[in-house]
Order: sequence, then C-alpha cells, then structure tokens
Amino acid sequence: MKLSLSSVEWNAGSWKFHADASFTPGVHLVSGRVGSGKTTLALLSARLLQPHAGAVEYEDIRSYTLSFQYPEYHITGSTLHEEAESYGVDPSAACARAGLAGRGHEDPFRLSRGELKLFQLSCLFMRRWDLLILDEPFSALDCRGKLAVCRSIGENRSGIVLVSTHEQHILPKTDYLWEMRTGDLIFRGPLPEAITAWESAPGPIRMLRGQGVIPANLTRDDILEAECRMHE
Amino acid sequence: MIEIRDLVFRVLRIGHLVVPEGTTALIGSNGSGKTTLLRLMAGLARPDSGSITVDGMVPVPGSAGFVDEYPDRNALFSRLADELAGPLRFRHVPCEEVDRRVRKVAATAGLEDHLERSMDTLSGGEKVLAALLSALISSPGILILDEFDSHLDYDSLLLAEDLISSSGARTVVRCTQNMDLAAQCGRVIVLHRGMVLHAGSPEEVFSTLEGTCCYPFSRRAGR
Repeated sequence: MKLSLSSVEWNAGSWKFHADASFTPGVHLVSGRVGSGKTTLALLSARLLQPHAGAVEYEDIRSYTLSFQYPEYHITGSTLHEEAESYGVDPSAACARAGLAGRGHEDPFRLSRGELKLFQLSCLFMRRWDLLILDEPFSALDCRGKLAVCRSIGENRSGIVLVSTHEQHILPKTDYLWEMRTGDLIFRGPLPEAITAWESAPGPIRMLRGQGVIPANLTRDDILEAECRMHE
Repeated sequence: MIEIRDLVFRVLRIGHLVVPEGTTALIGSNGSGKTTLLRLMAGLARPDSGSITVDGMVPVPGSAGFVDEYPDRNALFSRLADELAGPLRFRHVPCEEVDRRVRKVAATAGLEDHLERSMDTLSGGEKVLAALLSALISSPGILILDEFDSHLDYDSLLLAEDLISSSGARTVVRCTQNMDLAAQCGRVIVLHRGMVLHAGSPEEVFSTLEGTCCYPFSRRAGR
C-alpha cells in the first residue's frame, strides 16, 4: 500500500508547490507555517487537485477519503441523521460516538463548530480506510475531543494516515514527520529522531528540546513523560 | 467592562458576570456556549432575557473588533486589500489614509505582498490573520476573538499575540482551546453547559483543573 507524489508541481500565480514523496502505512504528521501548502498537499493527495506536473499514484489503495479543514464543507444533510447516512454509517452510533446521542434530528449547522467537527470525524472513523487524509482534524475540538481523535487515528494506522495540523498540545502517536516550507514538502524522518530537526515544532516540543529533552513520540503521555524527565 | 445580568439565551444561563478591562479567556468544552456568549458581547445577537452591557452601553454590531471562528465567515470582500480596508471605509476615513493603514497593517503580518490576492485563495491560517488585521485596523476598544488561534502555527501564533497585545484594545475576550494561551490571560472564565463554572485568575481557575487534559502544559513545566 503506497501513496506516491512523483515530482508533483502545482502553481498558483508566483506560489509554487513541489513534492517528491512516498507515504507507506502508518501515521504521517505534516506541519508548516500558514500558507506553506499543507492543504494543497492534502487536496493533491486526495486527487481533488490535478498536478500541473508530475503524478499522484495510488498502489493497493482501495478506499480513501479526505476530511476538510472546515467541517461545514462536508455537510449535505439537513439533520445529523441524514448526514451520518451520507457517510454510510449508522446514525445513532455516529451521534453517540460524537457525544451527541439522541440529537440525530438536529440541524448540523445548529451545532457548535467543535461538535460539528467531532461528529464529521466520527462518521469517517466508523469505517476503515487504506488512505485517510485529515486536514486540521484538531481545530475547534476541546481536549477530550482531541484525545478521542488521536485514539481513532491510532486505530487506522494499518492504513496510510496523513495528518496536517497546527495543533500544539495533543497529537497522535506518529510514525513519520514531514514539513511544508514555502511550498516544498520536506521529509524529516521517523520519530523520535526527526524531532531535533523539526523547524515548525509546537511550543511544548520547542520548550522540551530547549532543555535538552526529546520525547519518545508526540502523544500527550510522551510529552508528560518528557516533562517529568526535564525536572529530574 | 462587560457586565451580564440574568442572561438567558439559547444554552446560556448566567446570573451575574463581570468581565473587567484587560484580557479574559473563555474556555469550556465543545457546545458549552462560548461562541454564543462572544456573539452577545459583540452585539451580534440579543439575549432573550436579561442584559449585557459593554462600558454601560448595549453592544451593537460593529462596536467591537470581532473574529469569527469560521474563517470564511469573516470576509465581506473578495480582495484582501478591500477586506482590510473595509472597517476604515465604513467609517469614511480618507482614501489616502486607508491605503496607508492597509499597507502598514498588512506588513505587520507579512501579508504586504498578498494584498491583491482573492480571499478565497488564502489558506485557512492566512484568512484568520486577515480577519484579525481587519478587526484591529480601526483600533477597537473591545476585541472579541473566537478561537482563531486553532488555525495558526506556533510562529504565527506568537505574531498574532504581539498584534493583539500592541493593539491598544482596553478589553480583549477570547475563546480558545489552547490552555497555555488561556493561562497567559489576566482572567479565565470556564463555561459548562451554558453556565459559569469558574471565573477568576488563571491560578485560581486552573488549580481546579489540575490532573485534567485542560491543565496548561506551561504550568506543569514551570512548576
């Protein structure tokens, strides 16, 4: 199972995106400054954008999906029940998974943004995907929602999971680290080795790194353990 | 100062709450009513009953700088330069002054080379920065920020914090899920199912949240 971006280029005016990369099963975390090309990478990988040069190739990938940065972009139903059905999942189970049990009759646009985000992700996570692309899955979620999403990402790690995020504190167990830098996709390597070279690292990682402490991975437990080591 | 009395609106049930001048963080789980409360403070909604006043006045739309949590809902215009200029043009600021201030404020966020870009070509984070600049350009006394920070990387977040702290706004109320940001505010309010669960200094409020995932990393690390 492999996603390959072979000499992929995509241009918007003077801004240029370039990637030469292969993604194999596991969790791939992509970070980078605003406007660096993370969403472009997600759209190209999901084949929702056609590259101006190069090729995006799927090998043994039979099921794939993309979660947009904005959960409101996904809405097609007038109730949560209809919305869950549009994903082909059981509406009651989807509502319960998102902490919205008994609210299937409600208009998705009446939910708070965090509730909507968790509901939309819950619908996705009720199926298994060979390729799961998540663009900013943690935005708008409270910490319990973020931890639930991290667990769900872990449950899908036998496939390829591509996570673009600015999240600073609660991240999934990650296999490989990538960075977007002004349109260029850069492979930083496997964890934890990649942490030392991570330019767009979240604040807590920078703080630990500044104290000479490298966490074993990026999960909350890893950060807490590293923080304890910092005080030893 | 913002004062709320006997407020009932949607999920919100607040007896009495005073938000003093300075920076206040509004935190709480998803669906607890944070956005609803911020919209009331910004004059974008009216309570069913009870009252909310800002410096003794009922807030009206446009009375506060406001950044919506939905990046696409902030934009009124299609071009970034027009989006930034909007609040000044609505106040009939002379064109030359508008142009000067637009260029100046765009430069503070590194967006000076993007002024001709269409808003729909900006990334999510760039849209949020544009919304923040648009809210700040008319130097509002009250700034209401609805979780804009979740769209920003760490360096952009530091930049945004500098812009907010140097804005001159007397009162800043911000909703966030970043507890390290909340811990830097002068005051923290915790909403739970529409009611105020805690309100006080960061020390007071976060001492009640120790051991939960809401406890700020900075407070653990700085112990």
